Amino acid sequence: MVSKQKKIQHLFLRAGFGETPERINSLLNTSMSSIVEQLFADSQNYQDMTYLSYPLPQDDEEKGAGNLKILAQFIKSYKEREELNTEWISRMATTPGVLREKMTFFWHNHFATSTPFAYLMQVQNNTLREYALGNFSDMLHAIAKDPAMIIFLNNQQNKKAHPNENFAREVMELFTLGVGNYTEDDIKESARAFTGWSVDRRGEYQFNENQHDDGDKQFLGQKGDFNGDDILNIILSKKEVSVFVTTKIYREFVNPVVDTNRVSQLAESFYQSNYDISALMKQIFTSDWFYDEENIGAKVCSPVELIVRYKKLINVDTPNPKTILDLQKGLSQVLFFPPNVAGWKGGNTWIDSSSLMLRLTIPMYVIKGEGMIVKAKPHPEENPNDMQQEDENAGRGKITADWTALNTAFSNVPEDVRTEKMLDYFIQCDTSRIDRNLLKINWAKTDTNNLTLSMAAIMSLPEFQLI
Amino acid sequence: MRNSALASASLLVPGFLKAFGMGKNGLYVPPASTTGKRLVVIQLSGGNDGLNCVVPFRNDLYYRARPTLGLKDDDLIKISDEVALNSNLEALANFYNSGNMAIINSVGYPNPNRSHFRSMDIWQSASDENEYLYSGWIGRYLDATCDGTCAKPYNAVEIDDTLSLSLKGDNMKGLAFSQPNLLYKCSQNPIIRGVAKEYKPNNDHPEVEYLQKTLADTMESADYIYEHSNIFKSSRTYPGGNNFGNRLKTIAELICSGCNSSVYYISLPGFDTHVGQKGQQSRALKNLSDGLDAFCHDLKDNNQFDNTVIMTFSEFGRRVSQNASGGTDHGTANNIYVIGGKLAKPGMYNPMADLQNLDEGDLIYNIDFRQVYATMLEKVLGVDSTKVLGRKFDALGVV
Repeated sequence: MVSKQKKIQHLFLRAGFGETPERINSLLNTSMSSIVEQLFADSQNYQDMTYLSYPLPQDDEEKGAGNLKILAQFIKSYKEREELNTEWISRMATTPGVLREKMTFFWHNHFATSTPFAYLMQVQNNTLREYALGNFSDMLHAIAKDPAMIIFLNNQQNKKAHPNENFAREVMELFTLGVGNYTEDDIKESARAFTGWSVDRRGEYQFNENQHDDGDKQFLGQKGDFNGDDILNIILSKKEVSVFVTTKIYREFVNPVVDTNRVSQLAESFYQSNYDISALMKQIFTSDWFYDEENIGAKVCSPVELIVRYKKLINVDTPNPKTILDLQKGLSQVLFFPPNVAGWKGGNTWIDSSSLMLRLTIPMYVIKGEGMIVKAKPHPEENPNDMQQEDENAGRGKITADWTALNTAFSNVPEDVRTEKMLDYFIQCDTSRIDRNLLKINWAKTDTNNLTLSMAAIMSLPEFQLI
Repeated sequence: MRNSALASASLLVPGFLKAFGMGKNGLYVPPASTTGKRLVVIQLSGGNDGLNCVVPFRNDLYYRARPTLGLKDDDLIKISDEVALNSNLEALANFYNSGNMAIINSVGYPNPNRSHFRSMDIWQSASDENEYLYSGWIGRYLDATCDGTCAKPYNAVEIDDTLSLSLKGDNMKGLAFSQPNLLYKCSQNPIIRGVAKEYKPNNDHPEVEYLQKTLADTMESADYIYEHSNIFKSSRTYPGGNNFGNRLKTIAELICSGCNSSVYYISLPGFDTHVGQKGQQSRALKNLSDGLDAFCHDLKDNNQFDNTVIMTFSEFGRRVSQNASGGTDHGTANNIYVIGGKLAKPGMYNPMADLQNLDEGDLIYNIDFRQVYATMLEKVLGVDSTKVLGRKFDALGVV
């Protein structure tokens, strides 16, 4: 029997980044359906990221994305991408619209893009946020005209005389249909339809008619003088798209082990709703099976989920902003830097000896106030001889936290049931095999109060990594 | 306490035993690979300009493409009538002349990608250009050894704080640490020690099982590495810059202390030379050469050079022509250096890159990088390379 408390925690860990015991307690008497309604209502309004301003002076035709290839600007841009990264992490931790940020994060991985043009990455991030809970069909059309995506998948080089198939291939393989639902000929033909979709020197989408091939194309069994939008519509008419996208959502939000019957039912409604993302998510979060024991604590949280959860629970902060990036690098997930167009695979691929040790020792770094000893590998464009100035490294590695709220939440709980209570709030999977004695020792040999020490001990358990 | 126990254990190993590659129990400790050999992989990050490392100093096309960047006599060490090495690679020239080094030219893959990230991803995962794999070739080597049942993380070691994709298998993963004592210190956290100590296989919850098993393996590896890092202490000078020297020294000390890892992996950054290449590449190459000089001497002194093969690689070479900033931009095919005490075919393995026939200004590959991997897998590590690479790539007769 899954308790109400556990269900609420499950919802917020999956649809958001977890919530504090205080917030969970305030919802114990609210019905699950009202909580879900409120979750969607809280994500209704949102604001664009405006951290980076448009990099070019107005009417400056000389400098544009094309000229940003100069190395110095690459590196500046790299730094800006890192700043954008920490900006987004903070937003995830503080926004009331957690569902919208979580969905934006999901689409950020689905439409994984990496370009050195920080401003264009911000534009893409805003596009993903706009459609995150909207219509998948609209989102696909928008992302196909997204400047960062066009640059990343070489559609700039996709010209009538020399088609470049990169975008056409990935749009089917990774964004919509999945392998096996199209042929190499479909890729060749549809690449012709996307010819001329490019980015102008100001970094905006531009249809270059001279480079567009307006001849007939034979695509997925149809023939016509299709343009890129026609191709996307033909793709979207296939039910395989709904199955492909729903499967990925199910893996991420419900369980890494897919229940194919359930997914095909969800996919059918998704298709019938003409790809209404909100409707699909609401269907999942209001289903009884979503709260089944087998789906709770069933997945290894991603590094970003872990970091944001820590920020929400104990206000984890890093005096040197680079540390939040070091953490992401050490744990193998850096926002705006996916490994490739297929994104992060997640699940057990997050875990190796070093990343697991780092995950489990974060509470120790926090408690002891020592800096992390993990150093990330240098960026390939970095020249080690002119790496960061000393002052940029001041306090690097230090992680601070504020335990006040959690201490307050548990200070009135009688001591004999305190450990059990804490386990209930911090561990989602079965806790019966956890050795309670381990949690009682003064393991960090500090004068930190016992309450904090026990909570930090629980957060050092492998089970804390499962959400 | 542990330290002093190890210190005394180290005193118990007489110098002459150390000299014969004896471990702390006085036993010869070969690497765990079925051949008794070990592989050391050196990743040159950023895209090393191989054309200014192995220089065709009689070829006009080279100097025409690189009017100021082309290396002239003072900057070269001749190794044959046609070929010279960059003078910063002094130790490599010595290896070459003593028959301990092979150069493989024109290594690459079809439809080369010029992004650092993507091309490194391709090299590390050993995928095709249009294929996305989430495991690396050395990780899959661990998977392939006795079907992954006997491998331990420390069988493949990366000297770094984070583990590269190269060492992540589908089931097994290698071990990364920058210093054995830091790894050990981290592993002393009483909570995670306690959890690891109580680990018992639990099939009720596969995710918990996976985390706990990984943790238990990590603790075992941390102990193993710590115990096999202190017996031999190198007294040689390794180059200072950039941690590279210290990390190579750590590998030498592990090997000569009887650690039986089959693969060691290390990165040297700083090869992305778009601007002012000469100074930047010189520093990086000198670092590489001086480091390998000390490293190979340590191995020789301990009779570990003959069973060791070292290979370098980079995510791509650079364009043949220099750019307007005294540097070179991202290119394609590149050369690979293989060093070891007992190579089957030292010297120039195949002809130098063809500067006459270029693909839009880039070198054309004629050896797939996975042929080099197949060579290392079969001849150094003793596994069926198709299990790791997914299909047959012809091994080269280099080692």
